[in-house]
Amino acid sequence: MLADIASNLALGLSVAASPEGFLFLVIGAFLGMIVGLFPGFGPAAGIAVLIPMTFGLQPTIAIIMLAGIYYGSMYGGTITSILINTPGESATVASTIDGYPLAQKGRAGPALVMQAISSFFGGTIGVILITALAPSLANFAASFGPSEYFLIIAVGLLMLTTMMGNNKFKGFISALIGFAIGTVGVDVMSGQQRYTFGSPELIGGVYFVAVAIGLFGIGELLHCIFNGQHRQPAKRLRISFRDKEFWPSRKDYHESRWTFWRGSAIGFIAGVLPGSGATLGSIIGYSVEKKVANDPEKFGKGEMRGLVAPEAANNAASAGAMVPLLSLGIPGSGATAVLLGAFLMWGLQPGPLLIVNDPEFVWGLIASMYLGNMILIAMSIFAIPLFVKFLDIQYVNVVPVIVLLCVIGAFAINASIFETWILVLSGLVGFAMKSYGYSPAATVLALVLGSMAEETFLQTYIISQGTMNLFWERPVSLGLSIILLTIIVVPILLSLRSRTKGRQIDANGEAS
Amino acid sequence: MKQWFAAGLLVLAVGYTAYGLSTLTLLTSSGRPAAGFFPLVIGVLLILSCAVNLWGDLREWIEAKQTGIVAVHQADPEAEAKADALGVDAHAIDGGPEFGRDVLIAFLYICGFVGLLNLLGALLAMMVFMFIFLFTFNRPHVVSNLIYSVALPGFLYGLFKILLNASLPVGPLGF
Repeated sequence: MLADIASNLALGLSVAASPEGFLFLVIGAFLGMIVGLFPGFGPAAGIAVLIPMTFGLQPTIAIIMLAGIYYGSMYGGTITSILINTPGESATVASTIDGYPLAQKGRAGPALVMQAISSFFGGTIGVILITALAPSLANFAASFGPSEYFLIIAVGLLMLTTMMGNNKFKGFISALIGFAIGTVGVDVMSGQQRYTFGSPELIGGVYFVAVAIGLFGIGELLHCIFNGQHRQPAKRLRISFRDKEFWPSRKDYHESRWTFWRGSAIGFIAGVLPGSGATLGSIIGYSVEKKVANDPEKFGKGEMRGLVAPEAANNAASAGAMVPLLSLGIPGSGATAVLLGAFLMWGLQPGPLLIVNDPEFVWGLIASMYLGNMILIAMSIFAIPLFVKFLDIQYVNVVPVIVLLCVIGAFAINASIFETWILVLSGLVGFAMKSYGYSPAATVLALVLGSMAEETFLQTYIISQGTMNLFWERPVSLGLSIILLTIIVVPILLSLRSRTKGRQIDANGEAS
Repeated sequence: MKQWFAAGLLVLAVGYTAYGLSTLTLLTSSGRPAAGFFPLVIGVLLILSCAVNLWGDLREWIEAKQTGIVAVHQADPEAEAKADALGVDAHAIDGGPEFGRDVLIAFLYICGFVGLLNLLGALLAMMVFMFIFLFTFNRPHVVSNLIYSVALPGFLYGLFKILLNASLPVGPLGF
């Protein structure tokens, strides 16, 4: 098995380390760092907006570049978390909790270096685990039928929405909106037109790229304007890696030695689980680190472990999220959903057969992630002064450039002004969703998976002759059905328990 | 506004389901699910969840009106909700003023830009949008705005049209 992995990786390296592959990997990683730097503009938006710029490339090179943007943004997003208390994207929210206090204590340099090291550690552990797990999972998934696929999609979306706390209904609605948009166009089973309102533009359905660029690109941009980022002056920060105080102390490394491992393991698991993603991985990583620490009171006040844990976790999660994407064809987050859209645009169908049919692509992508992490740690440490200089650019100058990229990119895909208007409308909806606690990621995820969900659901219905017993007759389906029920029932029971407790406390209070 | 958005979603959910019921076939003659079956399932779930959601938002709004306590403006509600669910305090980035008027202006400019695409062509429309946007939000720097409004659209036009050979709208001047 090890020999197989080595030969596959050698094949992958021949693709990723080719001059063209390496050039676009560096471009992707660099763009990812910049995408991460601009607050509110996450990897999903970055990938969606830059998809049209990959038109002239070979599919493998295009995906290598887009994946570079994805995990590169995890490195870049933390720089603003540490320096200006503003997470570059949601996966670095947890890094702000201890990252900014570290900078306030005059330890911005060590914090930036430690975030780069932990990101590299988490990212590399994640890629090693992908190398080991993706082929095995693909082999296992080769026996899956429609019921298993439908249940995986349902579990993923439910997990995504359940983890939204008080906003879980909004998350659920967001996913349903995605499914509803996905029903527009011709029904693949019967050929009947649905929700086209007689418009020839809608017969092919609502094109996913325009919706994704709108929701993530224009929507997030309007949300940043709503938060007043366009009115903020440029941050003139100066950092030099020649300073003695720039480097972490031996104590920092010593105290964080197990945190690297814990954060990476937690992050990877969160990434692999459908619907979790890097944001949740980093928050769980932080939460667990605080719980296992002997001195939890130090967290939130500039504790290095509080930065290392979420950073290792979000990078491991971004790698982990590639496992279900590559082996099952099911993305676990908004960013991987956009990546799936890009795969489909290039005629690549992720799933168990992709590794068998197109090993150059899969192993080229995996090998590029090893190289990408090496490039990113070098960039993150030695080019920090350069990236900090990007913060000199006023956000008001960035906004129109992103609008131009979104609008021209959306138009250029099919030369359609209709799709450009869909982008604008999606932008407005995305802004409202982001502002009021809905989940644009769940919408895009459901939109991308909508036709697959419908097809597998109906196939299950037809094969089981309307009884739906396929959902519990097969062992994997039964396991997934139990998980699905647990995800639905446990939050309801917990909520009932906390209400009963609350009432008891109220009653006791009144009695005394 | 939150409750209005929730109400709008409920109306759309009802419209989606009603339109689907009136135009699509639910079951084939052999009793198998037809084109309308899945949309009906989605529609019913949407109506139920949107109704519960609207009820929650309305209750929150009434409570805020009665107590006068308005919830803090959240910079990233989705990430904060996830942090809340895990008991992690991620409220360091909360607060700050809101710029709803600027959002409206920016959105209208974007609509205007898309409207101008076929009239002026991609390059001119990009320049006009860029200049008007910068003139509105970055008024003191007229000269740099002008340079920026010519150089960046020119660069992007060159990138898409020449390097990527993308199809862009052509205006009366031929570009």
